[in-house]
Amino acid sequence: MTVLRDYAAATSQPTLADPDGPGRFDEVVGPDGSLRPAWKGLAELAVSLTPADMYRVDSDIARFLADDGVTYARPGDRQGPWRLDPVPLVIDAPTWTPLEKGLAQRAELFNALLVDLYGDQRLLAEGVVPPAVVLGHGGFTRAVARRSLGEEPIDPRPLVFSATDLARDAAGEWRVIGDRAQAPSGLGYAMENRRVISRVVPELYRQAGLHRMEPYFWALRSALIQSANGDLADPRVVVLSPGTHSETAYDQAFVASTLGFPLVQGSDLLVRDGWVYLRQGRGRMERVDVILRRVDAAWSDPLELRGESQLGVAGLVEAVRRGRVRVVNGLGSGVLENPGLAPYLPAACETLLGEPLLLQGLTTHWCGAPDGLRAVLDSLEQPSRPLHVRPIDGPSAELERLPTAKVIERILDEPHRYVGQERLPFSQVPTWRSGAARPRPVTLRTFTLRYGGSYRPLVGGLANVYDDGGFRSSASKDVWVLKADPADADQGLAEVMSMTAARAVAVTVPRVLEDLFWVGRYAERAEDMLRLLIVTHTISEDFRTRPGTVGGASLSVLLGVIGRLAGRQYDDLDAEFRSLLTDADRVGSVAHSIENLRTALTDVRDQLSADTWRAFGVVERAHEALAENPHSHQVADTAGRILTGVLSLQGVFASMMRDDGWHMIGAGRALERSLQLVHLLRSSTTVRRGIDVDRTVLNAVLESAESSVTHRRRYRGYVRPAGVLELLVIDPDNPRSLAFSLAEVRDHVAALPASTGSTRPERLVENLLAEVEDQSVAELVAIGGVNRPNLESFLDDTLDRLARLGESVEELHLRSGPPPRSFGALAIVDSLPAEPATGTIPVITEPLAGEGA
Amino acid sequence: MRYRVSHRTVYSYDEPVTDSFGLAYLTPRELPWQEVASHEVTVDPEASDLAHELDYHGNLATYFQVTERHTTLLVDALSEVTVSTPIHSDAALGGAWERARPLLDPVLPGAWLAADFALASASAEQTAEAKEYAAESLTRGRPIGEAATELMTRIHRDFAYDKTATTVTSTIDDIFDKRAGVCQDFAHLTLACLRGHGLAARYVSGYLATEPPPGKERIVGADASHAWVEVWLPDHDGGGPGEWLALDPTNDQWAGDRYVTVAWGRDYGDVPPVKGVIFTEAKRSTLRVEVDVAPLD
Repeated sequence: MTVLRDYAAATSQPTLADPDGPGRFDEVVGPDGSLRPAWKGLAELAVSLTPADMYRVDSDIARFLADDGVTYARPGDRQGPWRLDPVPLVIDAPTWTPLEKGLAQRAELFNALLVDLYGDQRLLAEGVVPPAVVLGHGGFTRAVARRSLGEEPIDPRPLVFSATDLARDAAGEWRVIGDRAQAPSGLGYAMENRRVISRVVPELYRQAGLHRMEPYFWALRSALIQSANGDLADPRVVVLSPGTHSETAYDQAFVASTLGFPLVQGSDLLVRDGWVYLRQGRGRMERVDVILRRVDAAWSDPLELRGESQLGVAGLVEAVRRGRVRVVNGLGSGVLENPGLAPYLPAACETLLGEPLLLQGLTTHWCGAPDGLRAVLDSLEQPSRPLHVRPIDGPSAELERLPTAKVIERILDEPHRYVGQERLPFSQVPTWRSGAARPRPVTLRTFTLRYGGSYRPLVGGLANVYDDGGFRSSASKDVWVLKADPADADQGLAEVMSMTAARAVAVTVPRVLEDLFWVGRYAERAEDMLRLLIVTHTISEDFRTRPGTVGGASLSVLLGVIGRLAGRQYDDLDAEFRSLLTDADRVGSVAHSIENLRTALTDVRDQLSADTWRAFGVVERAHEALAENPHSHQVADTAGRILTGVLSLQGVFASMMRDDGWHMIGAGRALERSLQLVHLLRSSTTVRRGIDVDRTVLNAVLESAESSVTHRRRYRGYVRPAGVLELLVIDPDNPRSLAFSLAEVRDHVAALPASTGSTRPERLVENLLAEVEDQSVAELVAIGGVNRPNLESFLDDTLDRLARLGESVEELHLRSGPPPRSFGALAIVDSLPAEPATGTIPVITEPLAGEGA
Repeated sequence: MRYRVSHRTVYSYDEPVTDSFGLAYLTPRELPWQEVASHEVTVDPEASDLAHELDYHGNLATYFQVTERHTTLLVDALSEVTVSTPIHSDAALGGAWERARPLLDPVLPGAWLAADFALASASAEQTAEAKEYAAESLTRGRPIGEAATELMTRIHRDFAYDKTATTVTSTIDDIFDKRAGVCQDFAHLTLACLRGHGLAARYVSGYLATEPPPGKERIVGADASHAWVEVWLPDHDGGGPGEWLALDPTNDQWAGDRYVTVAWGRDYGDVPPVKGVIFTEAKRSTLRVEVDVAPLD
């Protein structure tokens, strides 16, 4: 049997499992059990897929996504892997065409709505839309509204790129279930899904004859460039991101790098004289003309919007009001993400566009209107709760946890803030779950772009499937819109220019340099801990049960080194090693360094080669192997594989442009290598533990400092402290030595733009290096009791100086100035606040006219 | 009455500020009962960028940026205004309060414009306590002028003026807890009371000209900025946008020709005299405000 045939057989059965089920429309199988027209052309290939094929495809997908570093974070969670189901949602041309018209009309209507609501407010004045729906919504941004009649609106075309979520009802009609108007996410994920699916089922993909997506990105790029105010020859466009911790950080970086626009954060931008600039190191600034924002409006300007925001740009609203920068979409567009508008859209469409609204939304009752309120209260009385009650802005989760009486109380307090919406049985699609294709509800996110004079929907989209009962999407799907005629232009955009002309982007904002500095440091930190862990694990395999032996004593020294860097959490060694490899919350662990490395890289994703992410794919698979195999030897195997992944990054760095960013990585890496080496020596070589133990420990030190081979060649296997220190501290030719690493720091720092030859970091590294070169090994190894006091104080002193060096590099090269704060945020030590005139100070003698009227 | 109003705000910091953005509501509005002969806002160190613009509510906002390094920022506003006492018609004052609720009666003339001020706002949240407190004055069919005036009088009577009772971030609940506050608190409380019953009311920021006690000289700089509220009176017969009755709960009186209106909004947050964002390592600052409302006649 094949997967789809099983699915068709199961779905055309009367639903035994769920006899009272909502009667969902099935996207693949018609009521008579035959395939729907969209699937007929694919039948031959698709229907022949066996469970074994599907397992293969599913695991290929996971691997491709991991290698591309595709992540998504649910609100409040860490970034996790993006999930993509192997079976696409397929839509044929006859189904798509009316949808496309409806989406174009909706975007045009939304743009007109924004122009009206932030201008004359004719819709409010004429009673077409009740004022409270708009004014009571958190997205209504008064700072960009201009109400005086006849004045030009601040932004004449506020909506450039929007998204609409759709679902099919039981009758198979597409219905709007929500709109994303301020900073829609998902286009990058949609494109990534397509890339992956086209690779894992290439035959199916070729057979389908569907619209490629690339031309849409070209159109988006051109639309953003053209949305600059005025007549600029070469406008600068940036993508403003809230940062790595954003749920859709991957999507943002994908869009930025695909479009060839820099991905920036609020602190990278500044306002001067009402213009927005991008900081470019050495005090240089470059003017920004268009901002594609992924930061919600409320967080976009701490001066005029939310004061505590660190994500925004002080003065941005003023720059927008002066027409000196174009923000896409306009700062006020969030007001459209508002289910309260739904009942009034048909009338608004008639008023603004003079035509009937094409796409039907969910039947929605706004509680601010008396009959809407009645409908919602009625629904709350019924056990089946036919309406889904939610606030017009913000999530509805909190409301769902409240007892009915409380919900009613809230609604009655502020009726205009709530709506009740019909509950729709979404259509279902086959979704791969534990060995079979099972029916799961699906929604479709569509995208619409203002291109030239009109709105163009993406021919395609991003589908989400939901597991039973859940409102949270459990996986995404690629969306295949089939061409009516194979000769049709992709996206209907024959005339779009491809992006070969994309301007190369070099961003050297201080934040990017800082991220790259930490990339170098964490990559090195992870590598060094891995080497140490591998050596320690090998010794532990032999000696863990023999504490009294030479090996046992050496093992405890090495565990002491690890403890110095990452603490000690488990007595059981296997648990300890596993934790060091996988516990990202444990500071100093391999996992912690890799997590931070990944965060720093994600921050600058638009600057990096796509190969970068392969390293993390390797790490993830190594973690999986560790989770599946409880045996101790798996620790060594996993650590080895992670090391391979981390080392592959060095290859990526090696092929970078030799610019400031590259030097920053190099400086970070060499500095970290120096620090790790000194820590290693400090906790392994300053105490004498007898010749045999010392020899085992020194061998392990050489091994984890990757200098065993050199040492063996030079000293013919004769291991003594002096030789080890000679090789690891002073030798200028050993790339693992302290002297060599410091020379690297010196050279990289000297190449940075702010270096003059006499800056503090340059002086510090120069002095330290001179001192290291001057050390006499004989003096360092001198004995005092069981210790080597000279070595001890030299290493301690070196650690202090390395820390100072690190701080001075950050201070001089990476600081982007103090963070913004609001006037009132500082502790006010002596204030005479604006206070009222009252009866106690003033005496009001004059009787007031009008009183007693 | 004619006044010269000066309002000086001085911020001092313990470390230099490298960049400072400000937004100030310091320029009196042009109104049927208030004429602004001159106005000026200056910033020291000199602002590299300074602009005046009408905001959503029609107030004149001053935007400025100072890029010169400084440890003291001075914002000086100087204006000359002539104020008369607003006159309200008996018809407007005498309408039943139930017929002045813009959200419930969207067809009232001007209701759509007043609606913004009938919704709860951040500093004037709706609370059951405020609603219940106000219910005593808002009895069935009572003329709105009378009902609102009585509410003002009760607030003046029941709440003590106490500078130490509250802070700029105090909530309606805090004010009820302490039964005390300053003018800003009384204004927010009045807003919460009126809006809780569907009336439209706005926060007014401005100045009150004071008189020295008998026999004493007027002390320059002893005045302060002030806040009160205005409640919407619809124009049932004329079909116009209606008028606004200004009530000062701090002093238990209607705002007359001693009140200089600067700006209005949904609450204090819409129209603070000065707010801003600074870039600095400073940990502490001092704030000094000097206001003088000098009669010119």
